[in-house]
Amino acid sequence: MVQTNADGCEYKERLIASVKKEVKQLMEEAVTKKYVHEESSSVTSLCGAVEACLSQGLRRRALGLFKTSSTTALLHKIAKSCPEAEHISKLVQEIEAMDPNKRSSSSSDSFQRPPMLKKSSSNSMQSASSSSNALGMASTSSAASGSVSVSVSLASASSSSIALASMKYLWIRLALYEKRLTKIIEYLVGNASSFYDRDSLVADSDYGSILSSLLVGPCALDFTRAKTADHYWTDPHADELVQRHRISSGRRSSSTCSRPAIINFKRSLNTSSDEASTGSFKSMASASVAKDYVESLHQNAKATLLYGKNNVHVLPKDVAEPMAGYLSLHQHIQTLTIKWTPNQLMNGYNEADEGEDIDKEAFWAYALNINVDEIVYVHCHQSRGEDSGGTVILVGQDGVQRPPIHFPEGGHMQQFLSCLETGLLPHGQLDPPLWSQRGIGKMFLWPKSMRRRILPSVMESVDEMPIDYVFRIVSKSRHEEFAATHSILDFVRSTPRRAQLSSCSTTGSSDCSNKSLSIDQYPLESPLLLQQQHAQNTSIEMVCSTMRRQIISRAFYGWLAYCRHLSTVRTHLSGLVHGRITPEMKADEEGLTRERWQLLNVDGVLENATEFYRLVYFGGVQPELRQEVWPYLLGHYAFGSSLEERKKQDETCKHYYETTMSEWLAVDAIVQQREKEKTARAVAKLSSSGSNSGNERTVRAADLDAGGELENEVFEDISDISDPGDLEFDDEQRHQQQQQQQQQQQGQVQQQKQKQQHQHQEEKPVSGMHLCVKPIPRAMKTSTDSGHVDEGENFNELDEEQEQEQQEKINAEAPPPIASCSASTASSYETVGVGGAGHQAASDSRSRSVLSPEYLSAEDLQLPEDDDDEAVKPPQQQQQQQAAVIITNASVDIANWERSPKSGNSQQMSPVQEQTPVLDALQQPKSACASPASSNGGVYSSELLEQFGLNLHRIEKDVQRCDRNYWYFANENLDKLRNVISTYVWEHLDVGYMQGMCDLVAPLLVIFDDESLSYSCFCKLMERMIENFPSGGAMDMHFANMRSLIQILDSEMYDLMDSNGDYTHFYFCYRWFLLDFKRELVYDDVFATWEVIWAAKHIASGHFVLFLALALLETYRDIILSNSMDFTDVIKFFNEMAERHNAQAVLQLARSLVLQLQMIIENK
Amino acid sequence: MATRKKSLLKVIILGDSSVGKTSLMNQYVNKRFSNQYKATIGADFCTKEVVVNDRVVTMQIWDTAGQERFQSLGVAFYRGADCCVLVYDVTAPNSFKNLDSWRDEFLIQASPRDPEHFPFVVLGNKVDLDNRQVSTRRAQQWCQSKNDIPYYETSAKEGINVEMAFQTIAKNALEQEAEAEVINDFPDQIILNSQNNRPGNPDNCQC
Repeated sequence: MVQTNADGCEYKERLIASVKKEVKQLMEEAVTKKYVHEESSSVTSLCGAVEACLSQGLRRRALGLFKTSSTTALLHKIAKSCPEAEHISKLVQEIEAMDPNKRSSSSSDSFQRPPMLKKSSSNSMQSASSSSNALGMASTSSAASGSVSVSVSLASASSSSIALASMKYLWIRLALYEKRLTKIIEYLVGNASSFYDRDSLVADSDYGSILSSLLVGPCALDFTRAKTADHYWTDPHADELVQRHRISSGRRSSSTCSRPAIINFKRSLNTSSDEASTGSFKSMASASVAKDYVESLHQNAKATLLYGKNNVHVLPKDVAEPMAGYLSLHQHIQTLTIKWTPNQLMNGYNEADEGEDIDKEAFWAYALNINVDEIVYVHCHQSRGEDSGGTVILVGQDGVQRPPIHFPEGGHMQQFLSCLETGLLPHGQLDPPLWSQRGIGKMFLWPKSMRRRILPSVMESVDEMPIDYVFRIVSKSRHEEFAATHSILDFVRSTPRRAQLSSCSTTGSSDCSNKSLSIDQYPLESPLLLQQQHAQNTSIEMVCSTMRRQIISRAFYGWLAYCRHLSTVRTHLSGLVHGRITPEMKADEEGLTRERWQLLNVDGVLENATEFYRLVYFGGVQPELRQEVWPYLLGHYAFGSSLEERKKQDETCKHYYETTMSEWLAVDAIVQQREKEKTARAVAKLSSSGSNSGNERTVRAADLDAGGELENEVFEDISDISDPGDLEFDDEQRHQQQQQQQQQQQGQVQQQKQKQQHQHQEEKPVSGMHLCVKPIPRAMKTSTDSGHVDEGENFNELDEEQEQEQQEKINAEAPPPIASCSASTASSYETVGVGGAGHQAASDSRSRSVLSPEYLSAEDLQLPEDDDDEAVKPPQQQQQQQAAVIITNASVDIANWERSPKSGNSQQMSPVQEQTPVLDALQQPKSACASPASSNGGVYSSELLEQFGLNLHRIEKDVQRCDRNYWYFANENLDKLRNVISTYVWEHLDVGYMQGMCDLVAPLLVIFDDESLSYSCFCKLMERMIENFPSGGAMDMHFANMRSLIQILDSEMYDLMDSNGDYTHFYFCYRWFLLDFKRELVYDDVFATWEVIWAAKHIASGHFVLFLALALLETYRDIILSNSMDFTDVIKFFNEMAERHNAQAVLQLARSLVLQLQMIIENK
Repeated sequence: MATRKKSLLKVIILGDSSVGKTSLMNQYVNKRFSNQYKATIGADFCTKEVVVNDRVVTMQIWDTAGQERFQSLGVAFYRGADCCVLVYDVTAPNSFKNLDSWRDEFLIQASPRDPEHFPFVVLGNKVDLDNRQVSTRRAQQWCQSKNDIPYYETSAKEGINVEMAFQTIAKNALEQEAEAEVINDFPDQIILNSQNNRPGNPDNCQC
C-alpha cells in the first residue's frame, strides 16, 4: 500500500493494461466464436483484472470491510444508492444463500423441488465457503425472472475450482452478464472519494474513466451457457467431425461419400515400392491427398526440403510438350525423394474452378515422385557454350528412364546435383563425386568454364555439342549387394553396357560414362576387384548363381505369401459372396421401373426371377411398386404364380391371421383385466397406505386376508396381491360356467365336479367381498362395452346375492354369445380349440398332465362329437353342448389346479360375454372366433397367460414409441402394428417379443398398409432376422465376418481396430445387423436398402448386410482413422450419424465391395 | 484451471424397458425431453463434464436396452463401470420388482472389486404421472435393505431431481474411483512421512 507516486502510477498503468488485455481477448473470443461462454477463462481473467483495479486503494478500514471479498462488500455498500449495484447485490446474495446446502441443483428455481428422499452421505457442505461475505446471506428475496437464469447457471456450475473462481469474482461476473458492470464502475468512479484513497486507480480522474469505458464493450456482449461447461472438453459431435472432414478435404469432395474409400487390396499385399516409386497418383486422386501432397512439398516435420525450384520442365510420357512444374528434393530419415509437381496442381489447389477440376485429375498422373534409392544413374545433358540450363534423366535400377527433367537457365541443374549429393551423404554419394573430380573448386565449374578435359578433342562444333555426364548413385549401406551387381556390370557386361550408353548418348557422353564407371569402381571396389580378376570366371558364376537364387527365392516367397493370403480369403470369406458375378446394369437402366415391371409381369405372372432380382439389386424398386413387388422379394409370393393363386394365398393368409388374432385377443382380454385389477389394487393399496402413514394395511378385511402375510415383503406383494384377485375372478367365472353346466345337465361327472368346486369356493369366503373393491372389474375391448356395465353390476350383485339368483342372472346373459357361436363355422372353431390346447400343452407340461386325463376320462364321450362338428355344421343345440363341454373341461382343470398346492396360479377363464366385442372389433363375420372355444380360457394355463401378458405389455410399450415422428405412425396405425407383432408373438411364444421386432414390422406395414400381408411378410423376414436376436447366434457370426472382411479389404482400418483392442467387438454394428439398418436410415432409405438386401441374396451375396456395414464404415473411414477413434467413439459417432447417411452412396459402395471380394476370389 | 485433473467416470443406467432411461440421460445431458424416444437397441452413451469435489470429471453415461434378453450384450459395457443407476417406473410395479435382478445381474456381469460397496443409485422415474403404484416408502425400504442405496424420485419429463440425482451419481462414482486411488497412493504417503522425519533426525542428534 505504501507506494511512492511514481510507483503508484506504474502500478495503475499495469492494472489498466491488464484490463485492456483481457477486454481485448474477450472481445476477440466473442468475434471469432460468435459467442462467449459464461465460464470462459477469458471472462474469469477479465473479472480478476477488474477486481484488482477495484481493490486497489480501497479504503477498507474506513468502510469497515473485511479483507476478503472486499469488493463484494463494497458492492453491497453502494447498493443502497446505486440501483444497478442493488440489483447485482441481490443476485449475489441469492446465490450465496442457496449455496451452502444446494449448489448442485439447477432445477431448484423453476419448480417446486420434491424433497430429496434419502440424503446421499455428504452433500457438498464443504464447497465454497470462501464466498460467504460480510453482510450475511439471510435474505432470499424472490428474484426477477431474468435473474433466475443467471443464478441457476451459476448454481449448476457448482462447487469445485471453477466455482470457487467464479464465486470469487461473483459479483463482477454477474454484473458483466447482466450488462451493468460499466454502470456500477461509473458510479464508483463518480463517488470514488468516499470509498477510495486519493491516489487509487478508481479515484484517478483518467484511469477511473478509462476503466469504466473499457468495460463498455464486454458489457454489451451476450454470454451464453447454452452448451454448459461441456463443450470445452467433450468429444466433438459426429456432425462436427463430418464437417471438419469436409473442410479439411477441400471443396472437391462435397460429400464424404463421394469418394469410395481406398480399399486397396493390392496395398495390403505388397506394401513396398508400388506407391512410392511409380509416381502415379491416379489411385490417390482425392482432394485430401492433394492437399497433403502439396503440404508434403514444403519443409515439414517428416522431411527436410533440400532443393526446390519452380518452372522446371518435365516431359511426361504421353504429353507432347514439356510441362512446367515444381521440382523438389526431400530428405526423409531413410530416403531421399525427388518430386516434381505440375504447376497446374501447385497453383490450382486453391483457385481452380469446377471446369479445371476434371483436368486436374489428369495432372496427378504426370507428377513425379521418385525415390532416389531406386535410381542408379543420373544422366546430365547440357548444351555447351551457353548457359542453357540442362536436362537430367534419372535411370532406375530396372533400367527404365524417368521422364527427362529440364532445368531453366542459371546453373540450376548443378545446384540440383549438388543438393542431391549433399542429400545422399552420409550413406551414399554421387559417383564420380561432383566436385572432387574436377579438383578445381567446389562448385559447378565444369559447365561454365569448360575446363573439364574429359571431352575428347575430336569434338567439333563445340557450341552445339551437348555436354553429357553420367553419375552413378552409390549407396554404402548396400555395399555388398552393390559389389555383386557391380562386378557383373563391369566384368560380364561392361562392354555392351558401355556400348549401350554410348549409343544412347553422344560421343562425348560415351567417354564420360566410361570414365564415370571406371572411377566408380576405383574408390570402392578396387581391392576386391583386383583379387577377383584372377579368378574372374568362377566369381562371376558364383555371383550369378547367388543372385539367381535370391531372385527366385524372393519371387517364390512373394508368391507363397500371396497364395496364403488368397487361401485365407477363400476360407473365411468365399462363403459371403456368390461365385458367379452378375453383370452390372447398363447405364440406361434404372432398376425396377413400372415399365420393366410390366414387361416382367406378363399376364400377372412373374417368371424371370433372375432378371427381377438383378434389377432390384442394382437399381432398387420404384416406390409405388413396392407394395406389389415386396411380397416376391420376401418370398411370400412364389414366382410363376398366377393372379388367382396369389389372391387365394392372400385370403388364406388373411384367414389364418384373423383366426390367430382372435385367439390371442381373447387372452389379451384376460390379461388386460388382470392388469387393471392389479393396477386398481396397487393404487388402492398405495392410497390406503398413504392414509395410514405408509403402513400397507388396507381397510378391507378381504385385503387383509389376501395381503396380510405379504405386508412386509417389498416385492412379492405386488404379484401376490393380484393373484387372490384372479382367484376370485375365477370363482366368478366358475359360477357362470356352473350355471351353464346346470342348464345343460351334462351328467353326473359334472355334478360331482361342481360339488367339488362349491366346496372349494366355500373355502374361500373372501371372494365376493373382495370384488367390490375393484373399480373396473372387467377389462373390455374398446368397441362395444355394452356388456361391460351389466357385468360390473352383475359382479356387485353377485357379491351379495345367493347362488340361485346368480343362476338367473346368468341365464339371462348367457344366450347372446351362444347364439353367435352358432353362426360361426365349425372349422374355425376347431382350429381355435385345438390351437389353444396345443399352446397350452406346449407352454405348460404340468397343466397338460393334469388336463389330459380329464379329457380322456370325463370328456371322452364328448370328444368324438368334436370331430363330427368339424364335418357338418352342427345344430345350435350341439354347438351349445360342445361349448359347455369345453368349458366344463376347463372348470375341471381349474378345480384340479386349485386343489394343487400352488393355488396362486389359478386357471383363468375368459368371460363369454367378451367374445362379442372382440368379434366386432375384428369386423370379421367369417372368422369363427365367436365360438366360445376361443374364449375357452380353460385351456390357457396361467403360465401362458402370464407369459403372453408380459409380451403384450412389452409390445404395447414399444409400439407406443415406434417411429411416432413418422407420419404413418404419428396418430393412427399403431393398432395395426401392435396386432401384427402380437400375432407373431402368439405364434412364437417360445421366442417371445424382443425389442427390435417393432422396428422390423413398421416399414412393412408402411408399405403394405395391410395387417395380414405385413404379418406374412414379417414371418418371412424373421426367418432370417430371428437369428440376429439374442436367442440366435448370427450376431457373433456377423461380427467375426466383419472382422475378416475388414482385415482383407481395409488393412489400415483393421490395424486401428486391432490396436484399440476392445474395438474388435464390433458392437457398434449391433443395431445395424439386428434391424437391417432400419434405425440408421430414414424411412425411404430403409425401403431402398431392404429391397437391395433381399435381392442381393439371390444375386450377389446372402450376407449383403455385412457389405453394407463395411460400406458404412468405409464411408467414414477417413474420419475414423484421422481421429483414431476407439470403440466408444465409433459407437457414439454412428449413433449420432443415424438417419443422416447417404443411403444410395452407401449401397453403391456396398455393391462394389461385393464385387471386389468376388474378384479377389475369382482371381484365385 | 490448468491443474484440473480430468478423469472418466463410467455410469451405467439399467432398468426395465420404457422406465425412462434414455429420457433421464437426455434430460440430464441435453436438458431436453422428447416423447419420441424409441426403444434403445444396442447401447448408446452420452458424455457430460461435471465438477465434483473440485475435480472436473467426464461422465460417460451408458444407456442400455431395457429388455433383459439383451443383457448378455451389455457385458462389454458394464465392465469398468464406476456407478450403476437402477431406474424403475413408479407407475409400473414390475419394473420396481425387477430392480433386484438388475442389480444382481450387474454385479455378476461387471464383477466389481467390492460388490458390497459398489455405488448404486436408484431412481424412481415418472413421478409426474398420476397413477403412481409404487410407494416411496417401499422403494426406500428396498434401498435401505441393499446397503443404503441413495434413492431419488425423478421425472425426466419435468426435469425433477434429475440434476441432483446425477450429481450424487457422479460423486459416488468418484468416491468409488478415489478409493482405488487411495490404495495406490498409500506407499507414497509413507515415503512422504519418512521424508518429513528425516530433517527432524539431525536436529535430534544434536544432543
